[in-house]
Amino acid sequence: MNIKKLFGVILFLLLVLVVVPWLIAKSGRWDFYYTLTSVSLLSIASAGVWLTFYIGRINIGQGAYALAGGYVAAVLVSKYGINFWLTIPLAGLFCAALSVLIGLPILRLRGVYFAMVTLVLTEVMRLAALALPVTNGAKGITSIPLPQELSVFGFTVIPDFSTLANTKLAFYLTSVVLMVICYFVLWRIVNSRLGHLCRSLQQNEELSASIGVNTAYLRVIAYSISSFFGGVAGSMFVAISQSIYPSSFQVTDSVNFMLNCFLGGLGYVFGPMLGTLVLYFGWDLLFTAGRYQLLIYSTLLIALILLLPNGILSMGIFNRKKTRS
Amino acid sequence: MEQILANGLYLGAQYALIALGLTLIFSLMNVLNFAHGQMYVFGGFVTYTVVVQWGLPFIAGLFVSAFILAVIGALIERFLFRPVIRKSHREESTMLLAAGIAFFLDAVILLIFGEKQRGVPKIMDGVLNWDFRIIMPYDRILIGVLAIGMIVAFILFMQYSKAGRAMRALAQDRVAAQLMGVEVDRYSMIGFALGAMLAGLVGGLLVTITGINLGMGGPTSIKAFMMIMIGGAGVISGAIAGGFILGMMESIGLTVLAIYGDITYLVIFASLMIFLAIRPQGLMGKPWG
Amino acid sequence: MSPILVVENVTKKYGGLVAVNDVSFSVMSGEILSVIGPNGAGKSTMFKLISSFVRTTSGQVLFKGKRISNLTPHVVARLGVVRTFQETTIFRSMTVRENIVVSHHLRSKASLFGFFIGSAVAKADERAFGESADDIIEFLGLQSIRDELASNLPQGHLRALGMAIGLATNPSVLLLDEPFAGMNHDETMHMVTLVKRLRDERGVTVLLVEHDMPAVMKISDRIVVINFGEKIAEGIPSEIQSNEKVIEAYLGSEDDAIGL
Repeated sequence: MNIKKLFGVILFLLLVLVVVPWLIAKSGRWDFYYTLTSVSLLSIASAGVWLTFYIGRINIGQGAYALAGGYVAAVLVSKYGINFWLTIPLAGLFCAALSVLIGLPILRLRGVYFAMVTLVLTEVMRLAALALPVTNGAKGITSIPLPQELSVFGFTVIPDFSTLANTKLAFYLTSVVLMVICYFVLWRIVNSRLGHLCRSLQQNEELSASIGVNTAYLRVIAYSISSFFGGVAGSMFVAISQSIYPSSFQVTDSVNFMLNCFLGGLGYVFGPMLGTLVLYFGWDLLFTAGRYQLLIYSTLLIALILLLPNGILSMGIFNRKKTRS
Repeated sequence: MEQILANGLYLGAQYALIALGLTLIFSLMNVLNFAHGQMYVFGGFVTYTVVVQWGLPFIAGLFVSAFILAVIGALIERFLFRPVIRKSHREESTMLLAAGIAFFLDAVILLIFGEKQRGVPKIMDGVLNWDFRIIMPYDRILIGVLAIGMIVAFILFMQYSKAGRAMRALAQDRVAAQLMGVEVDRYSMIGFALGAMLAGLVGGLLVTITGINLGMGGPTSIKAFMMIMIGGAGVISGAIAGGFILGMMESIGLTVLAIYGDITYLVIFASLMIFLAIRPQGLMGKPWG
Repeated sequence: MSPILVVENVTKKYGGLVAVNDVSFSVMSGEILSVIGPNGAGKSTMFKLISSFVRTTSGQVLFKGKRISNLTPHVVARLGVVRTFQETTIFRSMTVRENIVVSHHLRSKASLFGFFIGSAVAKADERAFGESADDIIEFLGLQSIRDELASNLPQGHLRALGMAIGLATNPSVLLLDEPFAGMNHDETMHMVTLVKRLRDERGVTVLLVEHDMPAVMKISDRIVVINFGEKIAEGIPSEIQSNEKVIEAYLGSEDDAIGL
């Protein structure tokens, strides 16, 4: 990592961890914490979708893994009393394992076919949550306790949330840190050999196989990392809302994750983050439009696609460091 | 047993009609129309408005909804899909557009028709009872027969009309069709209009039985996707097969699996995954469409 | 010389259509062997069979005595039999150098996780790949287009890039799919020299499928002729040139100038 990049990262961290909380405290708009927390978590899930795009697959199934991850965390915390912070990686791993099982047959599909199956997957996961006994059906799992203390060798890393005066700020900070970690991982993947191989897969699967890349294996790896992100995002959401229902993540959410990636631009690691921010904030700002909210939102969306069919980051000013055409 | 088959046939006819529209649009333009379910809902509401609020006969409702949806489809193709397909580097951008249109139609339906569940009074009374082996209301039978009639009409249209032949040529090979003098733009628009019209017609048919509400759009699209995955995307025979197979599976599942709770669709999806692992292109699809 | 690649009674049927019918031949280590035949004779299918892109109906392909047919392409590549493609099969949105670097995949000693955390082995690998890529670029004379985006390249360079990608995998046997197609005389002669240097300087055994007769005659140690999916002749260029069956096959087809 060179100095310039390091500087950029430090600037970003200062912005989200110091400047934003300061601004919110100044302006008294505490509700922005919830908005920004949601943005950071949704952008983690979108990052996963983006990675599947990176191997040339259109993934509209991330909602399924977010839902599954959420339920894993909810069940582990409320039924088995496991520390919430531990359930985050467990939820991720559960989703990764699940995605290997599902991915093995469906990752052979391409283009629209894969997109269709994953979309159906989201709906099926909702139906599963309704039908399975462990998920408590339509009533969902509610009154999940706030996260406990996380300590390593007696040293408190994260305090018990129920003792905190300002849980909104605490959730915001932990979510942002989680997002930073996930995007760092994604950035490393894309800039290491794994990413190069993913790109080769995206551009030409036959040629990729002929230079000795185990394409089936690589696809499953990328898809399981993607689903891991989905599970992580879902589990964190559960801690914030302290509840989960089969309708917590639906087809609309899956479609939105995909839209975030498209809008941010598929050639750029930080595209999904920007896309999520724009879409979520746009939707939130339009709240004042009342019953016309969806109409205006979708009209703007369509207009945006008509004007910039290749994503926001494809605009001229962002094009200095173009990674892909 | 006969009852299950009859229910499956009735469901399958509706489903096949929905899948036909979706697959037609897909084969012509390689566009996955996310908004297909919303078009179906739109058609249902139009029929409701014409029949219940204006007091016109049911058949008029069907015609009006077919017409309005065809116009909507044509406009969407001409002013939205065509420019985006032309400008975009990636064909996936059309998927984004389709999703945007689905949201847009949802918003329009919400504003015009509201979010209440609507229905049309029974168009025919009485129940067929064949020795308690098949029990089915006459209106369902009528709707089923109408749907099958429309499927036949659609096949004949694609087979023998000039427009139908042009669209089939277009679906098979866009470039070759263009060289042969098929007006690609014109028939893409007609095809889109026709696909939207089919969705509207099914909406009009089903509003008499199940009623219609805003939330039905998404699930309908998803069912349609499953059908064309079973049959093979972009193939007319595949869409029909997929529709009837899904209808049958649903009918069987609802009867046989009822004791285990609401797991029919879980089972259908699991079988679909296994099926796709063996045959990724669906029953009748060309490999990689 | 011993055979490095043996094609044994290979047959491929598509439905009722027989694309390749009971073909056998061997490729000696270090030779340049061409498979020729009129259009639609089954040459390309032959190629896909050897590289396991399609499965044989019967018969097998052996590489150093081990069966390589009916495996998967990446396994065959790993064993050392690598194919190139006709036309524009490249990684379009990468630069020429990136194309070649990424194709060094088979040579990496570090694991994917090692690359992720940037281990010492991974760093050494990356350095080695870069150097080797520059080597290949120099070998094929691609210095001037090194950082050009592959999608912007003209036809001739694309072919060379395809070969560079193949070379990067460090193959024992390189399968070249119509390397001279669409080239003018000078370009063809340049390519002929390259392929010969490939064998002489890098010790790569070359199996190629080709239309261009004069080039094939110039380049090949031996030639196998296929027509209607069957082998009709095999031998050194001078034998093939005077083989009546071959002449007949080529005169019988309308679209190929024999050019003898």
